[in-house]
Amino acid sequence: MEYVFHIIIMLNIYIMLVLSANLTIGMANLLTMCQAAFYGIGAYIGTFFLTQFNLPFVVIAFLVMVITGTFSFLVSFASVRLKDDYFVIATMGFQLIFFTILYNWTDVTGGPHGLLDVPGIKLFGVYELSGVYEYLILSLIITAIVVWLFHNLASSPFGRVLNAIRADETMALAMGRDTAMFKSWAFFLSAAIAGLAGVVYASYNSYINPNSFKLDESIFILSALFIGGIGNTKGPILGALFVVIIPELLRFVGLPNTIAANLRQIIYGLSLVLVMYYRPQGILGKTILK
Amino acid sequence: MILRLKDIHISFTNAQNETFELLRGVNLDVETGKITALVGGNGTGKTTLFNIISGFEKNYTGIMLFEGKDICNASAHRISLMGIGRLFQNGQLMGGLTLMENMKLASNDSTGEKPFSSLIFPRKWKQSEAQKESQTRKILNRFFGKDNKYLDMLDEDAATFSYGEQRILSLCCLLMGGNRLLLLDEPTSGVNPLFIETTEQIIREMKEKEGLTVLLIEHNMHFVRKVADVCAYLDEGVIAKVGPTDEVLDDKNVRNSYLGL
Repeated sequence: MEYVFHIIIMLNIYIMLVLSANLTIGMANLLTMCQAAFYGIGAYIGTFFLTQFNLPFVVIAFLVMVITGTFSFLVSFASVRLKDDYFVIATMGFQLIFFTILYNWTDVTGGPHGLLDVPGIKLFGVYELSGVYEYLILSLIITAIVVWLFHNLASSPFGRVLNAIRADETMALAMGRDTAMFKSWAFFLSAAIAGLAGVVYASYNSYINPNSFKLDESIFILSALFIGGIGNTKGPILGALFVVIIPELLRFVGLPNTIAANLRQIIYGLSLVLVMYYRPQGILGKTILK
Repeated sequence: MILRLKDIHISFTNAQNETFELLRGVNLDVETGKITALVGGNGTGKTTLFNIISGFEKNYTGIMLFEGKDICNASAHRISLMGIGRLFQNGQLMGGLTLMENMKLASNDSTGEKPFSSLIFPRKWKQSEAQKESQTRKILNRFFGKDNKYLDMLDEDAATFSYGEQRILSLCCLLMGGNRLLLLDEPTSGVNPLFIETTEQIIREMKEKEGLTVLLIEHNMHFVRKVADVCAYLDEGVIAKVGPTDEVLDDKNVRNSYLGL
């Protein structure tokens, strides 16, 4: 049963990550390749707070979200000045810089060895969570809150303006919307949610290293979003379900690990090609990325 | 005088590094509460002038005053918030958004558009949304009659409407509030004769019932004669003639150089 609970916890983390990517990519049409960097910033900063301070989880989560969100301004600054492909390349650059720092700043990040013995989350600064079952409950609650937040944001006037930016940024400007500010907010919230997923992951796994937050991970999150569908809440949830469940199903086929890993990549790649060809908005998506 | 343009110059450099001065000192006073038509041949800089007024083109020199305030350094969204609305040349409704969403976006009421207030004070923005919905229905009733088909299509994706319908509905969007000067770039282009009549009615009501000032670019001279109080003729980078519409359009030089008569 612990195995199933572990899968559900990872699924919850990926639902948060894919939803966070949907805010910028699916709603504001800003194709970012650095979601894993924000996930990593959340994980490392969260580890710092969990290790150094005896704070309740709500406070740590808030601090991690604000700090990770603040890092997003580096990317949103680029989004105002760079368009389309140039912006995508700039976000990729941010992702690579972040990974290089994690990998080489050994005194702080532990370098390629990462950080061991990340403390568990203390709910009220006292009771430390341990065990899969407790993390299952916590991750379910946090994911439910994130899904609720995303759904409400998407159906609010704020979400409508992001959709307008996606549809026609010039028109949105001509209607008096400060599109640069709205994009910055989208990035901030997106990074904050990814950061939250990061701190949950770090404390649950009790070990983090740079390899969990590299460009491949950003592409993985993006793939989940494109397969599940962009622009609404259902699509990212389905996308997360797809990318988390597929490798687990392959375990039961009885293939050797080396073959299963390659087969997983082929399944993701093929799914992406098929979805892009037959349903470019994703299986449950609402809008098409321009 | 709602808008004053003084000595507006703009130049462009082509791929061969040759500089071409498109506007060579445009001077134009747009009178409050009137419909002014800006006419001139293709490529004379009419749309560029609209881009300058609405803040989308910044590489120009000259002075631009809106209601006496200098708007030269204002960004496009600020200019819109000041009360200058725009219908783009090929501008249509935003596809992927419903007709109702397009109408709501056109309103200057931005309640609930801040991410945290949209989550914390849903009651406040839901009230404002209800007002916008009621205003949308009133506008559609006014121009398309009671129980018109658009009332049943408010939740349809705007991309499903025909080009002509989108043009005319885009005009309706401009009546959602906050505007005092409207820049309409070829409102009748691609619109069928029946819709041209509705376009005429909407533009007249913009002036007569809403008290708005309209500056429009138009190539349909018959339409210009019917709706415009004042006409400005742009030729060779300057306003070559301005005055009552019939007087300008009947001017020998204008007929000769623009209309080819």
